[in-house]
Amino acid sequence: MAYMIAFHWGWLLAALVLGFCMGWVAVVTRARSVSKRWMIVLSVLAAALVAAAVLQVVPGRFGYWLDLLLLMFVPYLIGCAIGTQLRAWVVMRAMARR
Amino acid sequence: MRGFVRWSSKWWPGVVPLVLFWAIAAWNDTTAVEADLTAKAAAAVKGIVLDKVKIAADGRDIDFAAEAFSEEGRHGALTAVAGAPGVRLVIDDTRLVPEAKPFVWSAQRDVAKITLSGNAPLPAVKGKLMDIARDQVKGIEISDQMGLARGAPVNFEDAAALLIGQIGKLKDGKVTISDSSVSLSGMARDLGGREAVAAALKNLPQGFSVAANDVKAPPYIFQANKDPVAVTLTLSGYVPDENVHAIILGSSSRKFFSEKVVDNLKTSVGAPPGFVNAVIPALGVLSRLSTGTLVMSDREVKISGDALYDAAAIQIRAGLTKDFPREWQVTADISVRPAAAPVDASVCQQLFSDLLSKTKIRFLTGRATLDSDSTGLLDHLVETALRCPNATIEIAGHTDSDGEDVANQSLSERRAQAVLDYFVKAGLPADRFTAIGYGSTKPVASNDTDDGKAQNRRIEFLVR
Repeated sequence: MAYMIAFHWGWLLAALVLGFCMGWVAVVTRARSVSKRWMIVLSVLAAALVAAAVLQVVPGRFGYWLDLLLLMFVPYLIGCAIGTQLRAWVVMRAMARR
Repeated sequence: MRGFVRWSSKWWPGVVPLVLFWAIAAWNDTTAVEADLTAKAAAAVKGIVLDKVKIAADGRDIDFAAEAFSEEGRHGALTAVAGAPGVRLVIDDTRLVPEAKPFVWSAQRDVAKITLSGNAPLPAVKGKLMDIARDQVKGIEISDQMGLARGAPVNFEDAAALLIGQIGKLKDGKVTISDSSVSLSGMARDLGGREAVAAALKNLPQGFSVAANDVKAPPYIFQANKDPVAVTLTLSGYVPDENVHAIILGSSSRKFFSEKVVDNLKTSVGAPPGFVNAVIPALGVLSRLSTGTLVMSDREVKISGDALYDAAAIQIRAGLTKDFPREWQVTADISVRPAAAPVDASVCQQLFSDLLSKTKIRFLTGRATLDSDSTGLLDHLVETALRCPNATIEIAGHTDSDGEDVANQSLSERRAQAVLDYFVKAGLPADRFTAIGYGSTKPVASNDTDDGKAQNRRIEFLVR
């Protein structure tokens, strides 16, 4: 893990920034939400991919690419969460001032 | 919190560029990660003794192939690769180096090349043996055709090092270790090389034995040439030591009484067994020839030349088998010198006197047995007697004054008779000779000194 972070820190930072932007926009966008049903499907898919990565069942390059994908999702989600929280706070303060 | 969950359901559009980032990262970094992990895995096993190491990365998985020299080494290498940072899985393609049975190693020397082949137990040992070979024979091409195998005998390295040391003493040949037995063949570089190799083999490490030592040496040469024109006896070739050298020189000066002995002998080990016992009779034969050559090559003796008369040639040929040590091969090419012109009695007397002035007939101490050193002189005396066939000759024996007169009288008579017998055996008619003993009654020098006594012990010839 430490090796992967050290080797791909640039890409992970990019994912974090991307996530932050996405989280910032998510509070005010009119984009369609993911349905609850899709959310479950995606959660199961994510759990399956994590399980495959942890159990190291995917061989060679495909295994490495899976690890990289999952690893990039982590800063993306963290970025989203930070971006959303900050934007929500900014919006709340603006509304209160009005 | 409900708002956060609702907003999070709108994060999905960012997944599209995220996946794009991932695709670019994977495209860009895969080979770099693989190269980096290959290098790290190689560094991890650098200190472990392995052969035929192959490391290839497939993503973060390392395909590791190698041959280890022990089970511990194999496990250690696998653990080291698995522990290299970033490595996810190790695909184990390792195995143990095959075991050789029998464990064979050899070093072959052609004149200008040494080839080490067979098995070595470890790469380090292989390298060390190459270094030793380079040290031993500088300026000669060393070829490494050694493979690696398990199953080397204990102390293999020491034994192989010692044998490489021996290959430097060979002109060409081969040394082989097969398990714990050692065999050698070839030709030694120098005279004595065979003995030097045999001596070194005594230092083989414990457990090793010599199965065959077929190292041959250049022939051990000894030569003697009797030149009647220069009146010299030239000795050349080798003698085993100074003691034998002195014995040969002493014997030569007694046997070759009128020739000057030219000593070109060198000392060297490697003489065949029984060397002295062959040289002395061979010189004895040569002393009976008017001109001749003696060549000894290892245990082959070749004598050629001219005997002084027919019976001498026959006696020489007959004596070849019994006078030399067994296992020596003696060949003689003896012809007979043409008889010298007859002379009258007074010249004959002069010739006898001339011969006896140079040396005298020797007997074994206190006995009437002719010393073999005097055979050459006796042949010359016989040849002289043959030149005056009509003269009668008195052979007079004399002693010094030591001991009883009766005993001296008897000894002088028997010694004179022994000389007469020699003449008769040489084919001369017995009725031409009379053997008379005078005991110590006719001294030619004082009996008070050893030198004087030696002069008084003599055989004289009186031609009538």
